[in-house]
Amino acid sequence: MTQQEPRYRRSFGDLSERALAFWLLLPATLLLGLVALYPVARLFHNSLFRRRLTDETGTNPVFVGLGNFAQALSDERFWTALWNTFLIVLVTVPGALVVGLLLALLANLPFQVRWPVRLGLLLPWALPLVFAGLIFRWFFDSQYGVVNDVLVRLGGERLLWVTTPELLFWAVCLTIIWKTSSFVALILLAGLQVIPKELYEAAAVDGASRWQSFWRITLPLLTPALLVAAIFRTITAFQTFDIPFAMQNGGSSFETLAMYVRTTSIENLNFGYGSALAVLMFLVSLGVTLLYLRHIRGADD
Amino acid sequence: MRWSARFWLWAAAAVVVVNGFFPMVWILLTSFKPESELTRIPITWWPENFTLQNYVQALTGAPIGRYFLNSLIVAAGATALCVFVSALAAYALARLRIPHKTLIFSLLVGVSMFPTVTLLLPLFEMVLALGLRNTYIALILPHAALSIPVATLVLVSFFQGIPKDLEAAAMVDGCTRIGALWRVVVPLSAPGVFTASILAFVNSWDEFLLALTLMPSQAMRTLPVGIQFLQGEYTFPWPLISAALVIALVPVALVIAVFQERVVGGLTQGGVKG
Repeated sequence: MTQQEPRYRRSFGDLSERALAFWLLLPATLLLGLVALYPVARLFHNSLFRRRLTDETGTNPVFVGLGNFAQALSDERFWTALWNTFLIVLVTVPGALVVGLLLALLANLPFQVRWPVRLGLLLPWALPLVFAGLIFRWFFDSQYGVVNDVLVRLGGERLLWVTTPELLFWAVCLTIIWKTSSFVALILLAGLQVIPKELYEAAAVDGASRWQSFWRITLPLLTPALLVAAIFRTITAFQTFDIPFAMQNGGSSFETLAMYVRTTSIENLNFGYGSALAVLMFLVSLGVTLLYLRHIRGADD
Repeated sequence: MRWSARFWLWAAAAVVVVNGFFPMVWILLTSFKPESELTRIPITWWPENFTLQNYVQALTGAPIGRYFLNSLIVAAGATALCVFVSALAAYALARLRIPHKTLIFSLLVGVSMFPTVTLLLPLFEMVLALGLRNTYIALILPHAALSIPVATLVLVSFFQGIPKDLEAAAMVDGCTRIGALWRVVVPLSAPGVFTASILAFVNSWDEFLLALTLMPSQAMRTLPVGIQFLQGEYTFPWPLISAALVIALVPVALVIAVFQERVVGGLTQGGVKG
């Protein structure tokens, strides 16, 4: 295909390969440029200015250099939000990986009818995050929630899940783990299905127990898929917004970084400072993304 | 199979199925209970006073129909736009000689990982400047763009699965490259396009943060935003919310159930290979 197009082509089939590629890639590039790349550039620009739509800096932004970032360093609410986000990552990423691995191992068993199990993994993925937040808010309701109902039946006490800060944190984490573990399971299931069956048969012949095959065969061969799932999950956990927002009905007694960014920039219309916070978030995400890209490049080689 | 093995197989399936279905089943059961039954202790699991009143209330007392329509317009528009531009790009990436292809793929994956909240303020600014707040287009464009990476990756691997010889044969028979694309590749790629469409549609249908910020007015809310706002400041109208959730969930759940194999294939392609 290194040759130019043969002569008998007519009309715009005559485009050279380069030109054709250019025109085919153009619409996607324009759309991404407009909605993703330009906004990021604009964000960095905004972060260097003091600009609030509620005062005169709304029309006349004042250049403050890195002043907004300096402000963030001494902003207690920023540090709390960062810490909360860090805790969410710390709890829900390993949580979703463990639950996801368990679900994937169960779903990989030789069922004759596969669809109920597959749908059991797909439904939580397809459920909007906000809806998961609302449904679990109802589960965790202190009076009429099913969680407390089960606790009482088991001889425990009613817990004030939503109004006690520590319990709210765990309710949010459990909801996130439930909602995200099924996507992890789908990725891991795809990884499990490409492990050759012969390996297990050979191990069984050699007298290995199931437990040994799991540690010596399944886990090592599943590591690439686990790593992909872990990085994906870390990036999305770092952006956590919908579930705590819905479970607190828009309140902020438990606030993540994404929630603080939105409140600062959209609710308080503090464009400069909000942008600086968003830039900090963007840089952390970029770091994790580069790590991921290096990983898949490594896998390609 | 020994009975014990059979039993464990059933138990394993039950764990996965209950884990996945329980929240939706619970909300479905909740939606059939009258308010008096929902605020009773101990709570009931199975509805004792079965009622459809909650649905009547959701469809007449709250603009659920309107939210549904908004979600549908945005998701359909975003899906059509996204899949169209992604298919063009994916064909080029799968078939044509393009310099720096690896870099392009890396950029695509990179863009797919941008935190939405970092795009929020600049998009909000743009939408305000253009006077597009509370218009469908303000949400359709970003929703379409956000699904371009996954749709493109799914379509690239799909196009790579179509033998090049088929196109070459069509071109030898006198088709132009565009002609071969239209007569050979397009019909064969329908399943891939369909998979990409479902993924883009679900992404848009589920999206909350941008919808909340770019289309916040009562009449323009999408389902996630509208239903979230059914919560009062101190009251939680669960009969209404549960019925609204069921109305919002059933269509998507049906689509997912019918096309589950494709969805799983698309997800793991876009995810693992991405």
